[in-house]
Amino acid sequence: MTPPVLDIRDLGISFGGLKAVDQVSFSAERHRITTVIGPNGAGKSTLFNLISGAIKPQRGQVLIDGVDMTGAAPNRTKAAGLSRSFQITNLFFELTVAENLRLAAQVLEPAGRAFLPVRRSERAMAKTAQMLERFGLTHRRDEIAGNLSHGDQRRLEIAVCLASEPKILLLDEPTQGMSHGDTEDTAKLVRNLTEDVTVLLIEHDIGLVMDLSDHVVVMHQGRKLAEGPPKVVRADPAVQAAYFGHH
Amino acid sequence: MRDRLTTSMRASHVLALIFVVAALCLAAFGAATGDTFYLRLGTEALIFAGLALSVDLLLGYSGALSLGQALYFGIGAYVSALTLMKVPSFWLAMGAAFLVTLAAAIIGGLIANRVRGVYFALITFGLAQVFAKVVYNTRELGASDGMIGVPVIQIGLGPFSVSAASPAGFFLVVLGIIMGLYALTAYLLDTPFGRVLTALKANEKRVPFLGYSVWRARMAAYVFAGLVAGLSGALYPMLRGFVSPELMFFATSGNAVISVILGGVGTLIGAIYGSVLLVILKSIIGSWTEHHLIVIGLLFMACVMFLPKGMVGFVRPRIERLLGREPAAPEPAPPSSATIKSGSAA
Repeated sequence: MTPPVLDIRDLGISFGGLKAVDQVSFSAERHRITTVIGPNGAGKSTLFNLISGAIKPQRGQVLIDGVDMTGAAPNRTKAAGLSRSFQITNLFFELTVAENLRLAAQVLEPAGRAFLPVRRSERAMAKTAQMLERFGLTHRRDEIAGNLSHGDQRRLEIAVCLASEPKILLLDEPTQGMSHGDTEDTAKLVRNLTEDVTVLLIEHDIGLVMDLSDHVVVMHQGRKLAEGPPKVVRADPAVQAAYFGHH
Repeated sequence: MRDRLTTSMRASHVLALIFVVAALCLAAFGAATGDTFYLRLGTEALIFAGLALSVDLLLGYSGALSLGQALYFGIGAYVSALTLMKVPSFWLAMGAAFLVTLAAAIIGGLIANRVRGVYFALITFGLAQVFAKVVYNTRELGASDGMIGVPVIQIGLGPFSVSAASPAGFFLVVLGIIMGLYALTAYLLDTPFGRVLTALKANEKRVPFLGYSVWRARMAAYVFAGLVAGLSGALYPMLRGFVSPELMFFATSGNAVISVILGGVGTLIGAIYGSVLLVILKSIIGSWTEHHLIVIGLLFMACVMFLPKGMVGFVRPRIERLLGREPAAPEPAPPSSATIKSGSAA
């Protein structure tokens, strides 16, 4: 049996006395959407930081394709096939839309191309064009990323993550601050991503989570409260008390 | 596919070409009239332009302000002088300066790249000051007087040979080397390697998540900048026949930063224009008044206030627009504000 593409085991970190993430274990199935939900401060973004290498975990393990990547720096988890987006848009705001994508796609090129002019990196260029097309940004390719609308920036954020052809995509609230229409478009887009990648998602919009997810992990005060298919999780009394109870 | 950063670099090349043509005119005019003063001054300006180029590589591209770039300039100058006094060979002096600066820049980089921002600026400043004081107090290196008596050399260039004492000849050699360093730097910045440096400046925190090592990129930029400064510095004793610890002092590093800001940060060719302007201003104003630094200081302030992107930063966008209008390849242009310009001119 092949190992799960992303396997999290007993992951934990404390800040001061606070256990921000505590004994969290789950795995993400290949070509499925796994969503992490939970109220603010539940430790979702910290979990993403631990997985992507932005913060070193104090306890537990992160395995990518069966390889132990616990505490590896972000450039190494990226090389292992994990790409992540950020809750607060994190782009190269002074650079053009195309250059943002080209920088991400450059890792697809053999190392020898690093010292040839950029226009010789045909694969990265083709990938850039493909991403622009797919995310409806072709007409804005020469625009400075900082000048894009919020919705376009959020889309570009996902496109940048995808341009390097990762195995696993971590999306931290991709629809944050988006209009209703944009949110639906983004949901459709995320759904289509699973042809190529395994998606791990943080999302607040419960309706969206129920529609989109194959598997839901509920976090509460740093711990995993429950996990399972969306409907099962929703029916779980503990989850309802912690999370849905307020609705 | 048009690329904005490539277009910017091409616009810098246009200005570089204008610069070279102007320099060649000066050389021809100087040689015809038997001038020594202006050609020597121009040569000195070019040598310091190399130092400014290395400052712009760090400040304008990788986004790190070095206040001690004169350290490598000075090391290059001293190594070159020491070599020339033993063996008067141009290529040997350049080779020795290259190797020693390489080693020094790796050590300096390991220290300075542990921090960023203001701390990086302070550490580079400190490194240069400490090293300059060591040289200042080392009798074997001439201490505060520096070293005089660097012999006049013959520079072998294949079948030709140029004397460093020939004002026009040595001017052309230095022009060739500095513009060569410019071309190499510009080339590297338009490769994927160089674009990662640009990404560092734009948003360093995002870079590791694209799979690049920030530390490696910063080290590469720092060592390369050190080499550019060192090779430029190696030319100095050939021109002046001496070296002194002042070459490593903050005034030298500071002048390079001022040159870059006058010329335009992040334009490369701006560093060269800025350096020439600064050397000329110093010389002209210095002949009127001994308080020339006040005038230069005021000019610098005016430049920061009214030309925040420097001279080249002001001119270059216009050239970019001209270059952008020439359709390099037929491109299907959907009607949008970003592409109307190229569409209407086609």
